[in-house]
Amino acid sequence: MASYEENPQGITKADIVVGIPTLNEAKTVGNTTEQCARGLREYFGNLNSVIVNCDNQSVDGTKDAFFAARCDIPRIYVSTQPGETGKGNNLRNLFEVVRRLEAQAVVVLEADISNLAPQWIKKLVEPILKGIGYVTPLYVRHKYEATLSSSVIYPLTRCLYGRRVRQPNAGDCAFKGSLVDAFLGSPVWTDAVRNSGIDIWMTTIALNARVPVSQCFMGTPKVHRVKDPYAHLSSIFRQIMSASFDLMGVYADFWRLVKWSKPTALAGTDTEDVESPLPVDVNMNRLYDRFVQGFEGASRVWEKMFDQTVCHKLNEIRDMGLQHFSIPTQTWARILFDAALIYHRVEEPQRTDLLDSLLPLYLGRVLTFVKKTERMSVQQAEDYVESECTVFEECKPHLIKIWE
Amino acid sequence: MAKLLVVDDEEHIRLLYSEELKEVGYEVITAESGYKLLETIEEEKPDLVILDIKMVDYNGLDLLQDIRNRFYDLPVILSTAYDTFKEDMKSIAADFYVVKSFDLTELKKKIAMALETRLPT
Repeated sequence: MASYEENPQGITKADIVVGIPTLNEAKTVGNTTEQCARGLREYFGNLNSVIVNCDNQSVDGTKDAFFAARCDIPRIYVSTQPGETGKGNNLRNLFEVVRRLEAQAVVVLEADISNLAPQWIKKLVEPILKGIGYVTPLYVRHKYEATLSSSVIYPLTRCLYGRRVRQPNAGDCAFKGSLVDAFLGSPVWTDAVRNSGIDIWMTTIALNARVPVSQCFMGTPKVHRVKDPYAHLSSIFRQIMSASFDLMGVYADFWRLVKWSKPTALAGTDTEDVESPLPVDVNMNRLYDRFVQGFEGASRVWEKMFDQTVCHKLNEIRDMGLQHFSIPTQTWARILFDAALIYHRVEEPQRTDLLDSLLPLYLGRVLTFVKKTERMSVQQAEDYVESECTVFEECKPHLIKIWE
Repeated sequence: MAKLLVVDDEEHIRLLYSEELKEVGYEVITAESGYKLLETIEEEKPDLVILDIKMVDYNGLDLLQDIRNRFYDLPVILSTAYDTFKEDMKSIAADFYVVKSFDLTELKKKIAMALETRLPT
């Protein structure tokens, strides 16, 4: 429950809600609010809309900046209790507001997107008003952007739940208002979900609610605050993997019946000016070093948890050196499947040890991807990701077998 | 017996697909253009559509969007002479694609996979 709420216009009902989760975003939330308001006014002026800032008791004046934005759309500010942070906690407060307002369509947009434009609101809301249940954006991405999605989350989610959602944890989404009942009723509400695991948690719940899912081609990259990819990698990785594995337990009866995968609907195909992806630098030596360093600590965990075939294979891979380095897709799929099962068999702190031990393997897998796609165009690299997903789907019988 | 709808403006492709797919046990109906395709699908209720991308009067990728918007889960296999279509985002709404060939092994494999891919309700 939100510990604090300001609803100066006394809004009790809305057709469209735009939620902006924040933690100390005073510099960015104003522009985001204004862009959203322009989109709502321009494209959905005949509907009642409200913009909700779901905050974490920011101390930098986020609330004031939100209310100071030049905007004629009603606004509500909600916040978690002091000291309670995490995007998941913010969105839980948003879900409760959405339920109370009985909104038809909800959009979630992160506060620090600097190239956010009013059309984004149109692109995300329109499919919901046409009957789609959940929309994920399809941003223009460099082949080495969001590698956690390309190497783990996309192939895993796709092979489990049978739907090809390419950017399932993009950070932004839209959904029909009634879906908040599924979100608020989920049995999985862990620390991981309260933090970075929230995006994949929402997508997974939507997929399992069997609502029609659409991807919306945005025609542009998502330009937001430059983050050091290694700065919070271990905690983000742990949270996202933990959320995914927890949900696998909840939805096992469904995913065990799913064979192969199906496409989603696609919106935004009328986009005319498609921008180029932002450049991404990848340091192969650093990835290799992180793999080798992580190997030393993690190998003890693997020996306890994985069978000897996997451990033997990993030793072989380490001994290859950078020049011939490769973690084959079948091996990677098997590692993730085995890890998911082990995760459900052990308790804390072994779960955290297990997830942390996967991190160097993930970096090794990114290195494999970079080496394979070094000379490929973005499109060719995308085809390669698709072929890897097919391998995951082909390996799924192994997961079903061990899970039983 | 699964019912397949082959949409292609080339008669020899319609004949080839039709004969070979009937031989392996499918019921096959054909359409020579995208004209009233959604109505045809509504009436005939095929289990799968094999859709040519480049037809004289119709763009298969646009038809694919129409199909996906109205028949969300209907399997669609794109059939094409060129694989450059993948550069068009619209193609991701297809279940699979095959490059046209007189050897239908790949097409038959994809049909079987697409028909197998029924998500539990």
